[in-house]
Amino acid sequence: MSGEVLLRATDVVKTFTSRGKKLGARNVATAVNGVSLEVRRGETLGIVGESGCGKSTLARCLVQLLPVTSGSVEFRGVELTGLSRRQLRPHRREMQLVFQDPYASLNPRRTVGDIVADPMRINKIGSDQEIGDRVRDLFVTVGLDPASIRRYPHEFSGGQRQRIGIARSLSLNPSLVVADEPVSALDVSVQAQVLNLMADLQESLQLTYLFIAHDLGVVRHVSDRVGVMYLGEIVELGDAEGIYGSPLHPYTEALLSVVPELNDTDAPRRERILITGDVPDPSARPDGCSFHPRCPVATDECRTLKPPLIELRPGRFVACHHPRNID
Amino acid sequence: MPDDPTSTEAVLSVRDLKVSFATRQGELRAVDGLSFDVGSKEVLGIVGESGSGKSVAMYSMLGLVRDSNVTISGSVKFEGREILGLGDKEMQSVRGGDVGMIFQDPMTALTPVYTVGWQIVEQIRAHTDLTKAQAKARAVELLGEVGIPNPQRRAGQFPHEFSGGMRQRVVIAMALSCNPRLLIADEPTTALDVTTQAQILDLMEKLQQSYGSSIVIITHDMGVIAEMADRVVVMYAGRPAEIGPELEVVRFPRHPYTWGLLGAVPRVDSKNTRLVTIPGVSVSPLDVPDGCAFAPRCEHRMAICDERPALLGDGEHVDACWLSDAQRVAIRSGSKTSGGRP
Repeated sequence: MSGEVLLRATDVVKTFTSRGKKLGARNVATAVNGVSLEVRRGETLGIVGESGCGKSTLARCLVQLLPVTSGSVEFRGVELTGLSRRQLRPHRREMQLVFQDPYASLNPRRTVGDIVADPMRINKIGSDQEIGDRVRDLFVTVGLDPASIRRYPHEFSGGQRQRIGIARSLSLNPSLVVADEPVSALDVSVQAQVLNLMADLQESLQLTYLFIAHDLGVVRHVSDRVGVMYLGEIVELGDAEGIYGSPLHPYTEALLSVVPELNDTDAPRRERILITGDVPDPSARPDGCSFHPRCPVATDECRTLKPPLIELRPGRFVACHHPRNID
Repeated sequence: MPDDPTSTEAVLSVRDLKVSFATRQGELRAVDGLSFDVGSKEVLGIVGESGSGKSVAMYSMLGLVRDSNVTISGSVKFEGREILGLGDKEMQSVRGGDVGMIFQDPMTALTPVYTVGWQIVEQIRAHTDLTKAQAKARAVELLGEVGIPNPQRRAGQFPHEFSGGMRQRVVIAMALSCNPRLLIADEPTTALDVTTQAQILDLMEKLQQSYGSSIVIITHDMGVIAEMADRVVVMYAGRPAEIGPELEVVRFPRHPYTWGLLGAVPRVDSKNTRLVTIPGVSVSPLDVPDGCAFAPRCEHRMAICDERPALLGDGEHVDACWLSDAQRVAIRSGSKTSGGRP
């Protein structure tokens, strides 16, 4: 894997303001709170976290579907924040999205062939003939019958629809594909088909993936590197093997310990670390470390001082005063 | 297992349950010949993908499928008493009383317009002779038992004031309110995050021990089965593909569908390898083949698969497949995952 950085986010913050409980009051929720990361060409960076941790908001900020509140997003060395829609267009071609819900993300009134052709038509790439050929090629690439291009989304199963969504995302030959929970709506046997397809496409088309999911097994399976999010922040980032093998952050450690696993070997099971309580409201963040109210090893320091994300080992970043599993 | 000697002491005993719907496209066979027993204090897991009939089977045996086009046949005995075809009144005394239920979505399982305390009290009063004050005290006690802090105050709150995990705790408190002997949990943790799921599974385990109820847990997640179940029923297209003790099924799966199901799960505890896939998509319940339902997707299909295989095997561990033991060993020894019994 080359080290070239395709996408670099620095201290990205996204807040949402809503009406507060009292008249005139404002309620500010910080969905993404100072995230910095790099996506390198050819790799898969997985972002994992529980619902409400800001992983989807982060993805939308990175591809400029949502304007960031502050911070910088560079794509191939070009700063994207602050660009106009027109200025963004050539960069948008290079980063495409695959969405979670294959039912909601395809227009039910357009044929699937049109759905896949639209990005090319909008960007005025090729003649009708060329676009038609490309659509048929894409259908073959993602394992669909090219004879079905005149059919409508409701005629396809969930897994087939997700293949259509993937074909659409590939139509402009992007270098970066951002997949937001692409398999969470699918049954496990269909999920496996789509994950294998994405792996094959990455190899044959040299794609870079930013893969967002809540399922820890799926993220381990697809990712070279993994970022773990909690309450809008990346609490741990590093190579997948390292993070799953010896997590440094107590949240990562607890998260991995509670995933239900098949007992198909005699290997001793991880001891379950149950963390109590619920994720705090992002409009009322705890002082100090965001995780301290639920952390089993929190100290006074954690209650007052926010730990920065530091590189504890080469390539392994963690935001914790008391990292785990360091000998 | 019609000749199962333990069937006399089974809490729930289901024999040849069939549920079909008359539709414009023809007969939709949602459940097609399901038989199993749930022993005393046993946790039975029913696993299958969407459309496998696992939820319909449970709902129909409790009289919760009220479609005018439905035909239900077979036998469902709860503590020796036939409950299939009971009248509404009699069924209501079973449901929520001796049989508690936990649903997938804790938001829709609770009514938003009453306090959670009121909802639990209503259920207790419907099934017991407790006075209003006694029922109220019991409701608060239950909320405490399921780990809701400050239960006295929380009982006066509405469902929207609870988080997802806390709501599911309320639903569990309701299910337990009448000391059920059988608890049916339909995807109880599917709507929850993994840390919350762990809390809820932990709670269900503890309560099962203190209440001594039997549990039927319906899920699509083999991990949840491994965590909770003593025995497991693997369903495909409305039919049981394999039934056996949890450890046996996970370590020595016999049915090709179970092989695929287990191999398709991306693992947290091991390195990246290519996932096993099952080609094609689940068969439509409108046209389940007369023979083996899995045959159209099966890599090991034979001529005989046009005939429906019976559930056969040794002892507790049975499956519906025509492959011989020797064939299975040969197939499994060629694959990387845990193989057939040597």
